[in-house]
Amino acid sequence: MRVIVAEDSLLLREGMVRLLEEAKFEVVGQAGDAEELLRKARAHKPDVAIIDIRMPPTHTDEGLRAARVIREEMPDTGVLVLSQYVEEAYALELLGDDAAGVGYLLKDRISDLERFADAIRRVAEGGSALDPEVVSEMLGRKRTHDPLNVLTAREREVLGLMAEGRSNKAIAEILVITERAVERHVTSIFAKLNLAPAAEDHRRVRAVLLFLGT
Amino acid sequence: MGVAAFVVMLNGEHNVHRGAFAGLFLATGWGFVGVGLWVWKQRSAGNMGPLMVAVGLSAFVKGLVFSNDSVVFAIASVGEVLIYAVLIQLLLSFPSGRLETRLDRLLVTIAYVNTTVVQLGVFLFTDSKAGCASCPSNPLLIEHSQAEAVLSAAQLDISIALLGAVVAVLYRRWRSGTPGRARVFAPIVAVGGLAFLLLMAALIVEQAGLSSDISDAQTLALFASIACLPFAFLVGLLRSRFSEADAISALLAQLGEGGGRGALRDALADALGDPTLQLAYWVPGQDAYVDADGQAVRVDPAPAGKVSTIVEHEGERIAAIVHSPGLAEGRELVQTAGAAAGLTLRNERLDAELRAKVAELQASRLRIVQAGYEQRRRLERDLHDGAQQRLMALGIDLRMVRERIEHDPLGAAELLDESLHELNEATAELRELARGIHPSVLTNRGLHAALKGLASRSPVPVELLQTPTDRLPPSVESAVYFVVAEALTNAARYSRAQTVTVGVVRDNGHIDVEVSDDGVGGADADQGSGLRGLQDRVAALDGRLDLTSPQGLGTTLRAMIPCA
Repeated sequence: MRVIVAEDSLLLREGMVRLLEEAKFEVVGQAGDAEELLRKARAHKPDVAIIDIRMPPTHTDEGLRAARVIREEMPDTGVLVLSQYVEEAYALELLGDDAAGVGYLLKDRISDLERFADAIRRVAEGGSALDPEVVSEMLGRKRTHDPLNVLTAREREVLGLMAEGRSNKAIAEILVITERAVERHVTSIFAKLNLAPAAEDHRRVRAVLLFLGT
Repeated sequence: MGVAAFVVMLNGEHNVHRGAFAGLFLATGWGFVGVGLWVWKQRSAGNMGPLMVAVGLSAFVKGLVFSNDSVVFAIASVGEVLIYAVLIQLLLSFPSGRLETRLDRLLVTIAYVNTTVVQLGVFLFTDSKAGCASCPSNPLLIEHSQAEAVLSAAQLDISIALLGAVVAVLYRRWRSGTPGRARVFAPIVAVGGLAFLLLMAALIVEQAGLSSDISDAQTLALFASIACLPFAFLVGLLRSRFSEADAISALLAQLGEGGGRGALRDALADALGDPTLQLAYWVPGQDAYVDADGQAVRVDPAPAGKVSTIVEHEGERIAAIVHSPGLAEGRELVQTAGAAAGLTLRNERLDAELRAKVAELQASRLRIVQAGYEQRRRLERDLHDGAQQRLMALGIDLRMVRERIEHDPLGAAELLDESLHELNEATAELRELARGIHPSVLTNRGLHAALKGLASRSPVPVELLQTPTDRLPPSVESAVYFVVAEALTNAARYSRAQTVTVGVVRDNGHIDVEVSDDGVGGADADQGSGLRGLQDRVAALDGRLDLTSPQGLGTTLRAMIPCA
């Protein structure tokens, strides 16, 4: 699997590249800013571009904007945006339009290589990966009339994992239940929240995010 | 009435000097009424006119004691001494027509009680036939052997003390003023003082029980001096008018010369003859009075022993003059002086307003610097206690891994897991710290996104009503963000609220932020440095912050920030 790493801190970038290579990813390019990233992405057409959100020159949201350009120009290239801290607003911006092949994770997640690699693969395959912290923030938000009150504790868990972009199979493994049971929960959740059922995982993520984000 | 009194007096059978008395009373009464009416028409001396007319009328009442008719005699006998109380009020309220000090008011009150209530009491027990066979009988007489003696002795003592006090007050007023003021007071103090001293002497003679011959002569002299009083007032008032004109022209001349800060106060102090005079400028923005240096001045209520006069210019309050109550020329002059100085006053007020603002700015700048210092200290502590400790622990762990890795690879792996956990904690702490310092989403995405983030993390449910979707100047966005953040933190900590509503409206060149909860209320803006800091932050943008938190009715924090 071919990836590009865009990160302005050389130390972190090299560390990441080492980790990725260890996990059998092929790092076809490295970039220190958005411009370099776009140039190399256009040249290499990688499966996934792993992008730090803050890069020179303004260190604000260059990565985010580059990610959107890549989404538009190269629909086959997944984008995984990394950030020092996660914000709901960015999550909705990134995944709200189309969650297919999009990921948004805390930078810290790199250190858990197995899960990080899993997220990259999901994004590469057109799925999505949303950081559990954003999900828990959105799920845990205090509301006067919380629509999530109608869900059972198990359904909330399933909803959270769905929002992270996990497949039914993955959810079943994490919760140690059968895939059939997961499907039943999902159907029940969509019915209770009045959401139109969505077949693909990334559409599911988008629907759930939009629901939670309002 | 005057004529009637004259006729009554001329026919009074119980008066040996009726011709002289009748003439004097008539002169006194008409003198006061005449001068009083003239002064009344001038409208410039407050109550002076009516008071003088009242003195005149009470002189006629006094004259009626010489009546042969017992009813008229009775009424006049009760009202006979009222004239002295009215005179005391007149003298003490010269020249403004108002009693300016508490002592004045006290003396006048005692005088009225003494000449009405006590006098009535005395008359009830007085057998008018005793010692004056030709006098009409007292129709109200109550026979009591001791009462009259006791009551009239008390009345005499009170009267003597009262007159002494009044003379002393007048004398002091005359002596303590400027030369102009002394000139105004001289005729009144001279004639009024003389009259009162004569009255005192008469009373002392009466107290000593000396012959009625002496007392009649004294009464004649007394009334002769009282008859002169209206003219003394006339001279005093005219002089006061001249002295006003002098004061104003001196003031205008001084203003023409210009001068630095505080020059206007000095000019007014000179013109009004009150060296302790304070000039306080009205600062509409702060709803307060300040002096030329921008320091707050107490105006309403005025400090003890002072009165304040508000100066308006073209219907707009611009200043207050805090002066001593006895200012001879009275409040009218203070107001006239204020009006004459109007333009200069307005300029100086702007100056003072500016200084007040500078003073407040300096204070808030100091607070901002201190807040910055505090914040750095807190950051240093957070870093030191948190991430730094964890990283050091991590260093130790890694060193142990290095030593263990060859002979105990399993233990080393375990240690490494711990290290990773430690590392995650450290980065999580750093992340929160960084977000607290400055929320990057605010810079990158603006208020709407940042406030949504705040709302999401708030432990109390937040209803986000309205937020501007377009970008605002960074300083405004940041102030709004921290106002909402602080309000939400406080709501979560103290309010026990069920819901908080947040609304940010851009309207008419202002950003209006309102955060209200349905909690217990009772929050105090002066407590806690958080609100103080916010106040400075908002004030730095020329905005204002209001906290309303009635007990039991929730808390509303509102900020209005100018934003074109």
